[in-house]
Amino acid sequence: MMQTLITYLAVGSIVGYLLSKVNRHIGPIVLFALSIYSLIILWNLPTGAVENLYGFEGVLKFTALSRYFSILSLIVFASFSFFNISWIDKAKNPHAFNALSILTLLGTLGIFFSSNLIVLYIFWELAVLGSLFIVPMGKEESRKAAIWYIVISSIGTYMFLYGVFMLYSQYNTFDVFEIAKYLPHESSSFKWIVLILLLAAGIAKSGIFPLHTWLRNVHGNAPDTFSAVLSGQLVKMGSYILALVLTIFPVSVMFSEFYNGINLLSYLLIWLGNISILVGTLMAIKQNDMKMLIAYSTVANSGYILIGLATLDKVGYAGGLFHVINHALAATMIFLSFAAVVYRTGTTKIDELGGLIHRMPVTFVTYLVGIISLAGIPPTSGFISKWMIFQSLVSRGMFVTEMFTFIGSIGSFLYVFRPLAGVFLGQLKSKHKDVREAPIFMTIPMILLVTLTVLWGIFPQQVLMWITDIQKEFSMTVFQFEGTKLMTNMGYWDTWTVFVMFAVGFIIAAVIYILMPKGKKIPLEDQYTSGEFLHNYDLYHYASKFYAFFEREYEGHPSFEDLYLSFVNVLKAVGKGVDYLARREASAYLFWTAVVLVILLWVRW
Amino acid sequence: MTAVRVAQVLLTAFFFGLTFEGIGRKVTARIQKRYGPPWYQNFIDVFKTLTKHGWTHGWIFDFGVLMALGGVIATLSFVPLGNLVAFPGLDNFFVIVYLFTVGALGMAMGMVGTGNPWASIGVARALTLMLGYEVPYLIVITSMLYFYKTSNISNIIAAQGEIWNIFRFPIGALVAFISLQGMLGKEPFEAPIAPAEIASGPMVELSAKYMGLLMLMNTFMEFVEISLFVDFFLGGGTYFVFLLKYLVVWILAVMISAVLPRFRIEQAVAFYWTVPILLAFLQAFLVINGWVF
Amino acid sequence: MSKIDERSVWEKIADQLRSRSMWMLHYCTGCGAVELPPSMTSRFDMERLGMGPMATPRQADIFLITGYLSAKTLRRVIYTYEKMADPKYVIGFGSCTINGGIYYDSYSTINRLDYYIPVDLYIAGCMPRPEAILNAFNQLMEMIRKGEANGWKRYKENYEWYKQNQLRSLGEVIVHDEFHE
Repeated sequence: MMQTLITYLAVGSIVGYLLSKVNRHIGPIVLFALSIYSLIILWNLPTGAVENLYGFEGVLKFTALSRYFSILSLIVFASFSFFNISWIDKAKNPHAFNALSILTLLGTLGIFFSSNLIVLYIFWELAVLGSLFIVPMGKEESRKAAIWYIVISSIGTYMFLYGVFMLYSQYNTFDVFEIAKYLPHESSSFKWIVLILLLAAGIAKSGIFPLHTWLRNVHGNAPDTFSAVLSGQLVKMGSYILALVLTIFPVSVMFSEFYNGINLLSYLLIWLGNISILVGTLMAIKQNDMKMLIAYSTVANSGYILIGLATLDKVGYAGGLFHVINHALAATMIFLSFAAVVYRTGTTKIDELGGLIHRMPVTFVTYLVGIISLAGIPPTSGFISKWMIFQSLVSRGMFVTEMFTFIGSIGSFLYVFRPLAGVFLGQLKSKHKDVREAPIFMTIPMILLVTLTVLWGIFPQQVLMWITDIQKEFSMTVFQFEGTKLMTNMGYWDTWTVFVMFAVGFIIAAVIYILMPKGKKIPLEDQYTSGEFLHNYDLYHYASKFYAFFEREYEGHPSFEDLYLSFVNVLKAVGKGVDYLARREASAYLFWTAVVLVILLWVRW
Repeated sequence: MTAVRVAQVLLTAFFFGLTFEGIGRKVTARIQKRYGPPWYQNFIDVFKTLTKHGWTHGWIFDFGVLMALGGVIATLSFVPLGNLVAFPGLDNFFVIVYLFTVGALGMAMGMVGTGNPWASIGVARALTLMLGYEVPYLIVITSMLYFYKTSNISNIIAAQGEIWNIFRFPIGALVAFISLQGMLGKEPFEAPIAPAEIASGPMVELSAKYMGLLMLMNTFMEFVEISLFVDFFLGGGTYFVFLLKYLVVWILAVMISAVLPRFRIEQAVAFYWTVPILLAFLQAFLVINGWVF
Repeated sequence: MSKIDERSVWEKIADQLRSRSMWMLHYCTGCGAVELPPSMTSRFDMERLGMGPMATPRQADIFLITGYLSAKTLRRVIYTYEKMADPKYVIGFGSCTINGGIYYDSYSTINRLDYYIPVDLYIAGCMPRPEAILNAFNQLMEMIRKGEANGWKRYKENYEWYKQNQLRSLGEVIVHDEFHE
């Protein structure tokens, strides 16, 4: 079945391209049909199935981990493509956009299916190439963003490839399950080098510090809907590699224990996660561009995922995996709602917008539920994963890591509130007075994602089933739950009871509200203005420098982006020197003649 | 039975919360050499605001107010009041802390939904302050959770027995109390609602019943915050003993707030991220090494 | 008993509560504001009557016009009064609000406040001392309990008349000039 799906997607990519030439709206429909078809097939496919791919024997294996990641990818792609049916009107090259997005889906599904590392690498490059050519179709700076993307992605993939070749020269096989049997018996330096090389791909792709700099440029400048796929799905390829490498090789056995049951490699990874959370959170707080803001929040959330996965215990690892699906849904919702806003207003700057809730309520609700899940507030599913990660950290007494996760968690309230207040709430700009709600094709996937997030927040059994399947597959101890009751060694909680109490509280408040005299509706311009008469209410909106008083505290921070740009400048300077010497001008000829003469004299021919 | 216990918790918070606020106003008045309002003044205030005819700026304002009160009521029902626990076993600390933010988010959203920039500034300040006080507070509390190997609050109350945690974790109790002052929004951490500076911040457009509902919400929030402190550090206790301990903590907080001026918001965050956070890590270090009295 | 004085049972109970919890907006138009700090602090302590200062007109119940009004301040007074939630009460401080006080013949002084907004109670004097102010507050509380403080209802009922007076004196309430646009 997996080979068939890959064939269908490859054919679908060409068909989508040709049909988009006829009518640009057909491309997204093809992608939607393909992703729903794949979703149905993969949902029912039993795990453990091994298949050949075009004659290569046994290179595809459908594990529980593959099922989990492919289902979440397909959910993201299905909503993305449905949303695109309307949005494609604004795309620059619709046919190429459609073909390449189908190709990206092919690549990512291939990654999740491969049990052969070199096949995995090929699919990986396919996914990167597919997305690489979509990125420059966005804003003006998106061409530069594509360079960031390809450079940092290549750093990861080439390190991965080198690690794969090292393994091949040692064992003569690319099969990851075979390698996992041999690796623990190797020398410790070999294990360190190979694992770091393999993990580098995951670190680069999921935007973990120090390879996080591409996210701001790429997510911020890519075409609006494609940012949803980038943040919701492509970043999760990195999380897949991290989850796979950390569990298929028995890392906890291979490396010595460092602190309360955490091995040294995991501990280092947790520290990378800590720094990612700090950098992502603090940088997100000061962004004025809403897409870049959520791009930095992706850095922070990848940090959470890495911390959860690296704890490698039943609660933390399950929390990390759960966070993957939560963040995928939340980021998709947020970026799709932003795409709807940009579709109607044409800007991503927070301080150029405002009060859109009165014109685009469905988009607002999507964004609201998205951020509630992203910030980990019950009753959405985002809280469950954060709770699991916290429980795991507390039970191990990792207080420094806790500090970073708490800063990330409370910091997320700060940065998600910035677009909420700046874009959706506050005063409606006079130029946006007659903005309408996004078209129906955009609102339907948004509503469905909202429903899914809330539903999984109240009844998380299905997701937890998938997660426990993964844990069983890797013979870890399994996260325990009974119905809606989630249990750890430190205590339990019940999602259903919490939801019921929330409903009860809401009803009590509503009863008091209804019994008392009705409030009179007044327009937004009827404001307390300290007795002053205002006529331009566009200016009576607090959106720029929202957290100025806090941003001031870390103004002169060191920046890795600047560091990398200074490397670029060094390269450019060297290139200019070479350029200068290779010019076809008298001075260059003179220089080379002089050099030749000097050499001749020096060697004394 | 559960419904009765929930009702008991809610009514306790309503009745004693408002009463203690009235007593707090009385204490402040006495510190300023005034007579002060009667102890039931806050009941009159809440009911009066509910009877007035207010203004609304649209559905998000109404919804935000309902979400605020609803979220806080939900939080409150999970908080153990000494040995009165509405949902035994479900009083998980992290659930309470995060449920708490539902109410805060509802309030922030509704108030910014009025479209008044003062409200936005107030909310931005409140969130920044939250970043300050929550981090040391959570480190201290989680070090206690680590020590007792449980995150259920009633288990911690039971484990304290005769020796309260304030004696076992004195540094932690100090840090938690400083954080409590920030959570309650009392001086010196009062910048988010500074009435003379930003026209009472988030509450700037609140009239009539919206004001009343948010006053109730504020009372319940204070009740949750102080109850957590009493449960964690003062050993909970039976119903009336719990209320007595609650009153002592509350009056102490009120007395401190009555004599202090206000920090600017960045000063408050800088303060929380230096002294209390270092003390919190000192406490955590002591706990990891098992040096607990 | 006219229609304006009719109250339901609930309104009567509500008025009891309203009289015991009056939040004031201290929009300090004139020199009378200087009498408020002593009324608030330890000598006279108005908080024991359940009164206190509030930051915005949305939250407030009583509106104190503390002293003389000019054409400029009257605009703000009307603008602010219309932002207050019903029921709302107005107290005029000192002789300035009654007949213009010592500046009665100035070109921009407003001589009678209750042409423009309904005033429930005046405090005579220039300026009234805190004793007089507290006496007035007690009087207003009594009036609210009896249902006599009906300025907010009168304003609704005679809105046309008040508006006409406002427009006659001010031209327009909300100014449109280069400083405000």
